Amino acid sequence: MNYITENLLTILILLPVFGAISVLGHSMFWKNESQAKWITLFWVVVNFVISLLLFGSSQLSANGFYFEKNVPWIEAINTNYHVGVDGLSFWLVILTTFIMPIAIISTWGAVEKRHTAFYVFLLLLESAMIGVFVSLDLLVFYLFFEASLVPMFFLIGIWGGANRIYSAVKFFIYTALGSLLMLVAIIALYYIYAAKMGTAGTFDYVLLVNAAKLGNLDLVGTTGTLLFFAFALAFSIKVPLFPVHTWLPDAHTDAPTAGSVILAAVLLKMGTYGLMRFNFTLFPEASREFAPIFITLAVIGIIYGALVAMVQTDVKRLVAYSSVSHMGFVILGMFSFTEQGMQGALYQMLNHGVSTGALFLLVGFIYERRHTRAISDFGGLANSMPLYATLFVFTAMSSVGLPFLNGFVGEFLIMLGMWKSHALTITSSVNWNYVATMFAGTGVIFAAVYLLWMIQRVFFGKITNAKNKGLSDLSWREIGLLAPLLFLMVYMGVYPTPFLNKAKETVVSIQQRVVGGEKGGSFEKAEVKTENQLKH
Amino acid sequence: MNTILLQVVNPNVNVTSILPEVIVAVAGTLVMIYDCFAPKQKIVTGAISLVGLILATIALFALWSGSYDFANAWNGMVAFDNLRVSFTLVMLFVSAMTILISTVWTEREDVPIGEYHSLLLFATVGMMFMASGNDMVILFLGLETLSLSTYVMAGLRKSDLKSNESALKYFILGSFASAFLLYGMALIYGATASTNITEIAAKIGTANFPALLLAGGAMLLIGFGFKIATVPFHVWTPDVYEGAPTPVTAFMAAGPKAAGFASFLRVFVLGFPVVAGATATNYLHGSWVSALALMAMLTMIVGNVAAILQNNVKRMLAYSSIAHAGYALVGFVGAGVAKTSEARDGAINAVAFYLLTYAVTNLGAFAVVTLLGEKNDRRTEFEDYNGIGFKAPVLSFTLSLFMLSFLGLPLTAGFIGKILVFGPAIQSGEPLLTVMVVVAVICTAISAYYYLRLIVVMFFKERLTEWTEPKIPITLATVLIITVIGVFGLGLFSDRVLSIFKTSPTATKAQLK
Repeated sequence: MNYITENLLTILILLPVFGAISVLGHSMFWKNESQAKWITLFWVVVNFVISLLLFGSSQLSANGFYFEKNVPWIEAINTNYHVGVDGLSFWLVILTTFIMPIAIISTWGAVEKRHTAFYVFLLLLESAMIGVFVSLDLLVFYLFFEASLVPMFFLIGIWGGANRIYSAVKFFIYTALGSLLMLVAIIALYYIYAAKMGTAGTFDYVLLVNAAKLGNLDLVGTTGTLLFFAFALAFSIKVPLFPVHTWLPDAHTDAPTAGSVILAAVLLKMGTYGLMRFNFTLFPEASREFAPIFITLAVIGIIYGALVAMVQTDVKRLVAYSSVSHMGFVILGMFSFTEQGMQGALYQMLNHGVSTGALFLLVGFIYERRHTRAISDFGGLANSMPLYATLFVFTAMSSVGLPFLNGFVGEFLIMLGMWKSHALTITSSVNWNYVATMFAGTGVIFAAVYLLWMIQRVFFGKITNAKNKGLSDLSWREIGLLAPLLFLMVYMGVYPTPFLNKAKETVVSIQQRVVGGEKGGSFEKAEVKTENQLKH
Repeated sequence: MNTILLQVVNPNVNVTSILPEVIVAVAGTLVMIYDCFAPKQKIVTGAISLVGLILATIALFALWSGSYDFANAWNGMVAFDNLRVSFTLVMLFVSAMTILISTVWTEREDVPIGEYHSLLLFATVGMMFMASGNDMVILFLGLETLSLSTYVMAGLRKSDLKSNESALKYFILGSFASAFLLYGMALIYGATASTNITEIAAKIGTANFPALLLAGGAMLLIGFGFKIATVPFHVWTPDVYEGAPTPVTAFMAAGPKAAGFASFLRVFVLGFPVVAGATATNYLHGSWVSALALMAMLTMIVGNVAAILQNNVKRMLAYSSIAHAGYALVGFVGAGVAKTSEARDGAINAVAFYLLTYAVTNLGAFAVVTLLGEKNDRRTEFEDYNGIGFKAPVLSFTLSLFMLSFLGLPLTAGFIGKILVFGPAIQSGEPLLTVMVVVAVICTAISAYYYLRLIVVMFFKERLTEWTEPKIPITLATVLIITVIGVFGLGLFSDRVLSIFKTSPTATKAQLK
């Protein structure tokens, strides 16, 4: 037991890899692919159960991380296998291990070919995703960040929809381009550290941040700006932030259901997580300076995503565009640089994982029955599938942000934070932070419009298409699949405190770092401080 | 005067210092003699060649970790440093793998196997001298030995028009480049009165005719640029690579390229350093660094963009090899601008390591392409790979792995290689070099398109025609196992290889004393 808790994160990363090997071995020796899903399910459930140990107590390391592990990897370039969790990554790791069993069960009858390879890729994907959230060495982080691309590329490319090849390649190249520029920035940080500290360079996040906090790395001016944007571009593409979002609707539409669920629930969070973890703490000056750009793009993304979602004819594409809109909220909250906004952003990441994940599952259910997702093919589904309709409406409400459901808490916190923010200029006549909040607020209304309008066309009215008449309602497997997600929607909507408390400490420290004040400071404080320094 | 005369009369002949080269040369001769009496004994000649290469590797390690004083061996014409050892290791590896890959091809087609094996070994000797020569004359001799052998190897498929075209093109353009190289060497000799690299480096600050330095440097740049196929001297590559038999292409893309880099590095980085106060010399240094930086960018852009347009896998790999020469050049330029000798050696090691990762990946990829190519390399179009993914899972997944390693994805060899060659260029902090690295990563993203395309056709497309998986012969299986282990091993546990590359022979010697 002691051994497990000491190496908990490593086990979480490696277990799916072992699972993948066992699935591969099983089908090689027994020539029976039908059991692959059972073996996979076993491993992901085990991984989820083990991940619950994260709730247990662990020594808080001197660096401020739990379950920390730091062993040398390639000494020639001084890179270490350094992992640990804190308030920021904690829930994201749990979300990953939690969503995996659901994703696996959702594919129960849906995979028609190459079962073994399908489950092997899913397991490898889980390993890479957990790795991204726990690595504290920039090179190791990059490694997992890139490694997550390959399984997803295959998942979309082999088991995807009609346009799968185009979508898979687009997904890969888009994300790879951004992250390669980040690689350059990571190597540059290594040499900046070596030059400024007079020691060997390092990829270690903790060492870099500590040096940056003391002002030793001098990450301001042109260097800081370039590095900031190299990191930010990689993460913005992943989020995806308008205007680099175009890969997302394609990837989502063509991915198999499990792929879409994982993509929405976890992969997109890598971008927002990265911005908060690396950009804010390593380059706070640049983050403050360029916050207006990100806020503007986030607001555009919120409204644009919602408007485009409104005119979609494909249900899955509609949900995909709603992701663009929702992730805009997350960016907005983060760049408000207020505690509420950033807490809300983190909370909204989890919400989006739960709600949008559930929406993709629901879309997958109907696709399995009808093999179409066009809104015009449906109508009056509530008559033949009352339970399905109920749960769909419920999930949509959570996505819209109905009070007492999870979406409300996140969006409310984000808007509250943005309203109080000083990230944008405040003149005597206009407070641009208010303006941004108000524009973002319209996104909530639009969300209600596009989701309710779609629900009306799909579920209500008379059954117009004869094929929809005899559809069977949800099976027990499908209900069981949704149940934990529905429970979370309510629980997170009614009682968010445990989630927020767990993350609070880390979020506050990041927030303090990025605004540059001592105690939860604001922009004014930071600016006053610099003015004072100028006077001295 | 007296000492020079003494050296001429009584040269320091030290066979031990060139033992690896001698072993390979002897093996080549043995193969040739054996083939005269018992032609077409491919197992015997192949075994002799492999044993020769393995013995040479052992000799290399023995020399390198023993305590020998080679300071004046062959009157300073032979080098004994990291550069030689690391590059020689790459070349021996390439040759051994090529012999194994060739078995499929020589079985399928009527190949004069004895000649092929001895030519391959002589080419290897040439390559090894290109890494070990510390004198421009030796470098040139090595280069010519290599080139003459490869000209013939490219044309070994005598009945095929394409193969003949390939050999002739290679020969004519190669001779032209050799002439440039020789002329450049002559001009440098005119300026510094020496052909020895160490002496050139010492005298270059007080050259007789500084203008000769510049002209000579430019000539050498063109000559070497041709040999390692950098843009704009790359035009021969795709035709030659496509026409040559596939195993020979694999060899040419990895081996001679590494050898070219070894000589190129030795002459430019070690021979033309910055000398404080010498304007002309520093002008030469500055101009070759910026010229190479520009060539690197052009090479990466042209190589990658052209590779996208290819419909033939071999041709795609040819252009990809041009692109990879560009990435290696990034490390080269980094070595050129390094401020300390440790940083310089580190950058040289990075280039050697990069070429090793490229060689491992490239030989693995070509092994699969050779096997799938069938007789006369008929099946090398992208279409021929349609939907074979799950029909031949072992071959397809290993080929995909090699593509991802070419792409430089984490966990593979290519990733560590890329990090190492980009490092020194970023470290310098010069704008031109930073731009070069940014171009390099954008090109890498572009390259994703054509590397993934092979994965796409194999796995995502359906096969419409009948196709059965070819049997994997034992030799090829060996190559695949070695290269797959190499790709993962260099990607995950590169520490060992890097420390081997890093430990200089002199340092080992000092430890022993």
